Formats: sequence, structure tokens, C-alpha cells
Amino acid sequence: MLIMAEFTAEVYQNEFLPEGGTDVNAIVTVTCSGAGSAGQTGSGDAGEIIIVDTSGSMGRTKLEAAKIAAAAAVDQILDGTWFAVVAGTHQAYLAFPLVRSGRGMVQMDSNARYAAHQAISQFRSDGGTAMGTWLTLAGRLFDSVPMLAQRHAILLTDGENHNETPDQLTNAIRGVTGKFQCDCRGVGVDWQVAEVRRIAQALLGSVDIIPEPDQMSQVFAELMQQSMSRGVADAELRVWTPQGAEVLFVRQVSPTVEDLTSRRVEVNPLTGGYPTGSWGDESRDYHVSVRLAAKGIGQEQLAARVQLAVNDQMVAQALVKAKWSDDEGLTTRINPEVAHYTGQTELAEAIQEGLAAKASGDEETATKKLGRAVQLAAETGNEEATTRLRKVVDIEDSETGTVRLKRAVDKVDEMALDTASTKTTRIRG
Amino acid sequence: MTDHLTQSTAAAPAALPQPDGSLRCPHCGAEVAAQEAFCEACGGALAPTAAGPVEQPDELAAPIEITRSIQTEADEDTVAVARPCPNCGGAIGADGYCETCGTKAPTERDHYTEQPASWVAACCDRGVRHHRNEDATAVAAEPAPGSRAVLVVCDGVSTSLDSDVASLAAARTARDVLVAHRPAGLGTPASRVAAVAGAIVKAAAAANSAVIDNTAPGSENAASCTFAAVVVEADLVVFGNVGDSRIYWIPDHGPSSEPAELSVDDSVAQARIAMGTPRDEAENGPQAHAITKWLGRDSPDFTPRTGSILVKSPGWLLVCSDGLWNYASEATALQSLIAERSTPNSDPLTLAVALVDWANGKGGKDNVSVALARV
Repeated sequence: MLIMAEFTAEVYQNEFLPEGGTDVNAIVTVTCSGAGSAGQTGSGDAGEIIIVDTSGSMGRTKLEAAKIAAAAAVDQILDGTWFAVVAGTHQAYLAFPLVRSGRGMVQMDSNARYAAHQAISQFRSDGGTAMGTWLTLAGRLFDSVPMLAQRHAILLTDGENHNETPDQLTNAIRGVTGKFQCDCRGVGVDWQVAEVRRIAQALLGSVDIIPEPDQMSQVFAELMQQSMSRGVADAELRVWTPQGAEVLFVRQVSPTVEDLTSRRVEVNPLTGGYPTGSWGDESRDYHVSVRLAAKGIGQEQLAARVQLAVNDQMVAQALVKAKWSDDEGLTTRINPEVAHYTGQTELAEAIQEGLAAKASGDEETATKKLGRAVQLAAETGNEEATTRLRKVVDIEDSETGTVRLKRAVDKVDEMALDTASTKTTRIRG
Repeated sequence: MTDHLTQSTAAAPAALPQPDGSLRCPHCGAEVAAQEAFCEACGGALAPTAAGPVEQPDELAAPIEITRSIQTEADEDTVAVARPCPNCGGAIGADGYCETCGTKAPTERDHYTEQPASWVAACCDRGVRHHRNEDATAVAAEPAPGSRAVLVVCDGVSTSLDSDVASLAAARTARDVLVAHRPAGLGTPASRVAAVAGAIVKAAAAANSAVIDNTAPGSENAASCTFAAVVVEADLVVFGNVGDSRIYWIPDHGPSSEPAELSVDDSVAQARIAMGTPRDEAENGPQAHAITKWLGRDSPDFTPRTGSILVKSPGWLLVCSDGLWNYASEATALQSLIAERSTPNSDPLTLAVALVDWANGKGGKDNVSVALARV
């Protein structure tokens, strides 16, 4: 079958550099349309694994809600999609399909859906938490189905990773990085945002809090729907830079901030590839920063070719340019997109650093960082961040970033501020 | 796909029909389809006996629709072989930039050369500091050295959007008018000069129309350009100019070899020189480059000042824009420059390129045009 997906790439930058100028910054917007549905576009099958925390801490209320949520997610999986359900405690169990060897996933149809519901209803709350083992099992299950082109998991947890050392979790994450994408959700307030964010970031997924158990099933259904609408299994951002140039950083800046710089894989000596996972009909913005050797006034050169590649084929390209000029009116102009996302990136850092300082009892740093966050949120028009910050600090003056830490803060609000810190707003409508 | 079929039919054997109606590969015996040009099992070539579905191969070749115009690797290579990067020698990408160092590849308009005959050539270049080449050259010549040649240089002087297009149209139009001009009969030397000078006036008028035709009707800043033209007919040289592009006669160094600036600028600097200001001071003073006559929609007077000389010794006729003479204004300075870079047997194209390179080496502040005839 024909994939109808179309990609476009647009660049926003000030290409003029003053005499001796070396650093070029650009925002590249990549837009995908006509993506189709996961596993339905002829490029290979899709696989989904639902991973549910069934540790003892889940208790009756959360476990019953988790069963409903897992079943809701199963209902959103399109027929023909390979799937499995994993129950996680201090070990990982394959809850569905009920097999002990061979392929650890089955293709969805009405029988499989019914059987999966039955298996989910048998979940029992017991034992500890070792998320690394859950990820490792999911990786093995995906590996058992060689025809998969697209692999995605949803992971639900309610607590800290008590039964593994941080190194064990790191090793497990490393073992599955690049094998599948994973959206992670924490229910309640007893889990660690930083710990779960580590999994989500490495596995090109999102992290968020589900404050109340009864919100779980809607979140799960939406996550699965979103995954099913991603018809482009995998795409790579590629950044070509001229010989002798240095890539200062490559960041995704919308819809969330993710630093991709260290994920570079060499495509050829001048081109780095950065995994972006699967795509639906959506736009993502990237901030690319390149350092060049300065050229003379009047010279023009390419600073970067920013491309999106699907199956090693370039599907969109944007050109980042550098022109040296002695016209100050041109060289001092600040590109609004670059300025906006530079501010949004700093906003995410300020929130995370502020909350970390607050958690460690360093109120002075927390006040300073969160104050800066309030200031940046106001400057860049990020009203969602301002609303969330308001629940953690009292704002005296958002222009100067003068704030006071609230005495009593709901843990949910603080965690929601943390998980949402990387969400950015767009400058363009 | 159709090409593919016709190419493979000539040499490849047809698939072998079986009693059950299926077809077998003549190389390995695997079952094959009638439209296949290759056996899927062994890869052996087959002569297809049916046409394949037309759309499917296209879909397979490009499973994702590309919304940008992107050339294939093969195309890029072809371009690269033809025109390596002037900065590093790397391949030029389909996007017009070097694939190794990122330098913007000069477009045809940014840098081009012409050589209609062994004794006539021109080089037109963007220079170093300008982002666009608004200069233009257009030359023509008959093959026999020293027979008949036409050299035209136009320098776009406006910063309007169309100056680069307009100047090239002007130069080419003027050249074509002068190539088409043929003196009727032999006549006296004086009548020959008058006929050619008349043709140069006509050529300037035609060039003026070309500039106007290439100016967007609504543009506030109308495109305009200079005009400098030379017609060589054996030892007779007739010339004319509007603006500050120049015509020089540069004889080889010898006993009776006084070089001469044949054209007279229509410029503020020239007016000041005429009033007694030293050339150096005038050409570097305020408004030095402001011209008092030009071609274009807002030109009050585009009639060229014409003149002629009889050439008695070997040398070079040079037509150039201020991108060159900014760095060597005096005819004697140009004579020394050319003497350092040429011999009487020099290829005019090599010399034209060398003069452009020299001007760029001096800073390349403006576009540079050099047209040469060896007479």
C-alpha cells in the first residue's frame, strides 16, 4: 500500500551575521500530514504493549482503576495490531497472551480482545517495584515478532523503583533504547518524576501525572488512540553541517523541549541523525545551533541542511543559511521564533531546577529559579505554565520575577508543574 | 517502467509456459509472472510477455510523497561533475550549496564567461561584497582574428529588483543589433565610421527599450544600467558609451604604444575632472560614482557619446565596468597590469578571468566585468 504521508520543513532564522560572527541559530518546523494509522500503511506491522504496575502499593482502588484503564487501552488497539499486556511488580509477568515460548504477542481480533480483558481482570496487587525488569520483558516481547516496524508501550506506575538500584534501571533502559517508544504515566503522588522522566526521555515518550485513579482509563484510551494515529513508524531528523563546523546543539522545542544533541548517530562524517520516533499528523519544532568559521562581508554559505528521513529517504529539507553583512540593521535583528524557544527552554530548566532545590530544602535557590520561571512564562506568553507556577509560588511581580514560595503546596500541583515543565507554547497561531 | 521493458527484451529469454498455464524461469525453473523483467528467485533477466501495472512501480520507487523538489543522488552527481565547488572542490548539491563546505555555488548569473572566437572573450562576476551580479557582458565575433567583433558591457546601477535581469537584456539586445548591422558597400573611411556610430546609437536605444521591458511596471525604483559598446572592423574601432562603464585601447608595450581611455564617463567625477579636479581626488570624492546618464525608464537622455580610432599596432581593446577600473583607472596602470598578466599570444579568456580575479583580490567591492578583443 501507498503511504500518503507528506512532510514539509520550514526554517525561521536571521541569516545575517556581523563581521566575525560565527553562531547561527534557526528554528525548523517539520509538519506531517496524511500519516494514516499505525500498522496500516504497508511499511510493516505495529505492536503495542500495555505495562501495568500491580505492586502491593497499588491497593484495591488503584488496581481496580488500572484494570479498567488497561481494558480501555486494549479496546483502542486496531485489529491486526500485535499486542501484549505485562503486569509489573519486583518482577515482570506476561499477563497476555498466555504463552511460554515462541511469539510473545498476538494480533488483535475480537477473540484476542476478549481474552485480554479476561487476563486483565485477574490482576492481583502484590510485591514490589522493578521497572527495569518490565522494560526488559517488553523489549523481549517486541523482539519475538520480527515483522514489527512500529513498537510502542504504555507504562503505568504508582511508586518509586524500590527493588532496583538506579544503575540496574539505567542498564535496563539502555538495553531497550531504540527498540520501542514508551509513554509513561504515574498515578498518585508516591512516584518520582525524575525517575520516570528518565525512562520516557530515553524511549522517546511522554511523562505525566494522573492525580486520581478514576482518571486513568480516559488517559489510557487517549494515549492508545494517539499511538494508533501515528502511521509513520519511524523518522530521523538529520542535520548536515559544513566541514569544520560544530553543532552546538539540536533540540526539539515544540510540543515539548527535548535536548537531542547527545543522541546523535553518525549518518556520514558531515551528517548526524537524531531519532524522532513515530509521526502522526502533527508539527514539531527543532532548534538547531551551529558554529561556523567566520567568512568575509558579502559571503554566503549554508550553515546546515535540516532534513527528515523516513526509511533512509529524505522527505523534507530546510536550509539554514549564513550571510555576513556590514549592515547593522540586518545583523542585529533578533528572530522572534529563536528568541521565543530560547526562553521556553530556559523556562523548563528554571522550573526543574527550582523544584529540585525546593525538594532539597534550598529555599533561596528555589525562590530565585521559580521567580525566573514566572518571569519567563510571562515573557513568552506561556499561560499554562503561569497557572501551574501560581499553585506553587505566590507571585508578587511577574515582570521582575519576584515570588514567595507557598507554605502549603499540594504535592499533585508540584508534580504536575514538574511533568509539564517541558511543554512549550507556539509563537505562531 | 516502459524503458525498462524495452531494454530487457532484446537480450533476455522469455519465461517458459507450463501445461498448467503458469510460467517458469528459463534460468532456475522458479515460477514467474508474465510481466516480470527479472526472476524473483535467481534474479535472471526475463523478456516480459505482458505489461506490468503502470502505477505500482512508481509507488514502490517513491513510497513517500516528497513535497519539496529534491533531485536524486544521481542528478546531484551529474551536477557535481560538471561544476565543482570553487571554494573546496566538493560536489554542489541540488540546493545550490556545496555538500562539503556549504559555500553557495555561484549561479550562472553570478559568474559567467563568453568566448565567441579565439580572439574575443568576456568574464562577468558578482565580485566579493555584493550579493548579486548586476553587471552584464555580451560579446560576438567572427572567427578570423582581427576581423569583426562586438563587445558590450552594461552595469546595473539601480538597487531595484530587476537590475540584474535588465542589464543582461540590455547588453544582449545591443550586441544583437550591432551584429546584425552590416555596412552597405565599402564607402569612405568617414562614411564607415558614421554608419557604425549610427548603429551604436540604435543599439543603445534598443538596449534602453530592453531595460524598460524588464522593469516591473509598478516598481518605484526603476531598473537602470550603463552602456559601453565597441565594434571592431579590422583596423577600425568604433565605440560609444552612456554612464561610467569604460572602453580602453591598450597596445602592447612598444615605441608608439600610448594606451588610451577612449570613452568619457557620464559621471559626477568626470564633471569635476573637466573642471580641473585631479582624477584621483575626483574619482574618490563624494558622489564620485553617481552617474549623470543611464539607460532605463527614468532616463532623460540615453544617446551614447561615440568615437573611433584606427589601430596601427597590436594590442587589446578592453571594455569594463567600474568593478575593474576602481582599482586601476589610468590607461597606463591597466597597460602595466595587462603586460604583467599576458603575452601577445595570450588567450583573451584567460586574461579576462585574470583581470576579474585581480579586482576580486583587491577587495571586489563591486561587480566586475571585463570584455577583451585582441587586435
